[in-house]
Amino acid sequence: MTRTFWALVTKEIIAFFRSWGLVAVVLYSFTLDIYIAGAGIEMQARNVSVGYVDRTGGALSYRILGRLHAPEFKAPIRFPSREALYNAVRNREIMVGLIFNDDFSRDYHRGRPARIDLLLDAIAASQSFQALQYLRNIVLDFSRIQVPVELKIHKLFNQNARTSWFMSLAELLSITTLLGVILTAAVFVREKENGTWDIMLLMPIDPRITILAKSFSQVLILMGGILLATGLVLFGTFNLPINGSLAAFFLLSFFYAFTSAGIGLFVAAVSRSMLQVAQMAILIMMPMIFLSGAWTPIHAMHPLLQKLSLLSPLRYYIEGSESIFFRGTSWMDLWPYFAGVILLGGLLYYYGFRKIGKLF
Amino acid sequence: MNWGVVRAYMRKEILELYRSRMIVIVYILPTFIIILFGYGIRLEVTHARTLIIDHDQSKLSRDLAERFMHSRYFDSYLFHGTEQQALHRIKQARTEILLIIPQGFEKRLLHGERGEIAAFIDGAFPVRGETMSNYVKGEIFHAAQSVAPGLAPRITLNSRNLFNQAMRDEDAIVPGLFGLILLVAPAILSALLIVKEKEEGTIFNFYSSPVRKSEFILAKLIPAFLLHSLNIFILFFWATWLFQVPFRGSFTLYWLSSELYILISLGIGLLVSIITRAQIVAIVLTIIITIIPGFLYSGMLMPISSMSGESVVEAHIYPVMYYNHIVYDAFLIGQGLDAPKIRLYLLILALYAAGILALGSMLMKKELR
Repeated sequence: MTRTFWALVTKEIIAFFRSWGLVAVVLYSFTLDIYIAGAGIEMQARNVSVGYVDRTGGALSYRILGRLHAPEFKAPIRFPSREALYNAVRNREIMVGLIFNDDFSRDYHRGRPARIDLLLDAIAASQSFQALQYLRNIVLDFSRIQVPVELKIHKLFNQNARTSWFMSLAELLSITTLLGVILTAAVFVREKENGTWDIMLLMPIDPRITILAKSFSQVLILMGGILLATGLVLFGTFNLPINGSLAAFFLLSFFYAFTSAGIGLFVAAVSRSMLQVAQMAILIMMPMIFLSGAWTPIHAMHPLLQKLSLLSPLRYYIEGSESIFFRGTSWMDLWPYFAGVILLGGLLYYYGFRKIGKLF
Repeated sequence: MNWGVVRAYMRKEILELYRSRMIVIVYILPTFIIILFGYGIRLEVTHARTLIIDHDQSKLSRDLAERFMHSRYFDSYLFHGTEQQALHRIKQARTEILLIIPQGFEKRLLHGERGEIAAFIDGAFPVRGETMSNYVKGEIFHAAQSVAPGLAPRITLNSRNLFNQAMRDEDAIVPGLFGLILLVAPAILSALLIVKEKEEGTIFNFYSSPVRKSEFILAKLIPAFLLHSLNIFILFFWATWLFQVPFRGSFTLYWLSSELYILISLGIGLLVSIITRAQIVAIVLTIIITIIPGFLYSGMLMPISSMSGESVVEAHIYPVMYYNHIVYDAFLIGQGLDAPKIRLYLLILALYAAGILALGSMLMKKELR
């Protein structure tokens, strides 16, 4: 029994390593792809391009412009006229345009409220909103108002608001889902396409062992990939903190890998060719990834989608991993995530397992 | 070129697409992505779950707590436990903001000293954390202003939100999705159409028959092109009808640039099909090389003007940036061909399409490797 099991596992792993194209793609996904997503996607307002038109004598406007600096703002660019500035905003070369009218410094020095006109490219809604907040703070600070209340803000878990931490982790989890489903489904469907799957089921080996071994081999490959990505990319490149237990993360990943293999089994059971696998996999995975909270926190979603997201095993995996890495949640408090992954995963795996094991 | 051959081959392709129910994916996938992302991505923060611990229990502190409870940005509750318990709730991801008003807050203020308030904010989701801390700052500042009206700032900002007055997330996100969808979907289709024949071995029919290379490529790409052209209209329908995104530019320009963009995507699929032999590799490879750049350089999550260093170069290499600039313009700005930048980008798209298709046809071999 166990010998057959391990023989099959070994066979599948060897088969995997022989198809070098697949190995290359898997390696790429678990390293460079995560790196690109982590390093490239920045949703904070950083390097905001600023342009200005200055009709005042200088002094005062220069002092304000001097406060717009890296990392939030790029060096402000001067425009000759309002129209030129407006055109640059329309061509999306400038995101924030400041206009100092000629009465600006006069009003200021006479003690009247001085007005700066602001043009915001609101297509990048979230960044321009943040840029506006930064500008408000700068102006407040400049007016030297003594607010009688001092607010001490402590940002927990990710003090410097590094998007790369969050994005690289979310990308790793999404990649795990993608490859888990497609690799597992491919292992079975390739045999179906070649017509050897019926023979496998008719062989004097318990088909359950065959299925288990085949899916287990893919889980092993996934775990290898996760290990590689965690060591090389998450810790090695992005210096993610780990406030919880690393063992908990790997255990959760292991269960999750089985869950995605379960989805793969289901996909393999209902499709007859790789083309159909691709369709099914995309149709199942897309909602899973987008309902998981990888892109938007769950409670910011439409209420109906929030309910639906309870059905996405990735949701539990992502929340669990975030809690382990950033929030440093203890083992005891992790149980909802483990329960969610194991329960949904168990069901999916069981269903796929039953379905693919039937000969006709 | 023998058009009879091309037509016969195309007929076979369309029949096969229809029989393998692949046709469903051609139309379901784009619709699916636009609806999911359109509803799914929310960068705006409302209803942040807030706990307030009021140690002071004075009129001022209660007024402050009231303000938070009546704001649509926060879902605030007074919390009567210890600070440790409240922090623990943040760890369990059940709360995002914790405000602590210390004892003697009112007394200090009345004596003319500075009162202190502590705010703990969940920063695990960075943009959200940043936005929430700005909200808290703003709310406290307004509260202070209403108590001490002398706090008017000497400089005011008179801001105009161009192109998206209400700062709707839909307007910002949905047009950006076009560049992603029309990059991914046609590429997968064209790659699979060719690699499928390689894996199943039917490609030998092509290798050994007098069908020419150009005829084969045309027969593979034309059905994919025609089928996906319909998606240009479907996506437009969802954006304007379901998501209520305004359309201010020229439809012809939008349509033309989308057709060019689909050609580019088909070309990417063609290139993938040349270097891969197995369908699984083709699928995963296409997804990986299209989805990430489709997001990164779309201008949807991060404006191109905010990029620096290598990512500026990369953004200019992928076609997404050019296409999305035109789409955003067509939907929200409406300059159309009057702007030299749009004309330039349209030209680049056309050259890109021609280049990538030429490269694909050149590299494709009509023989066994």
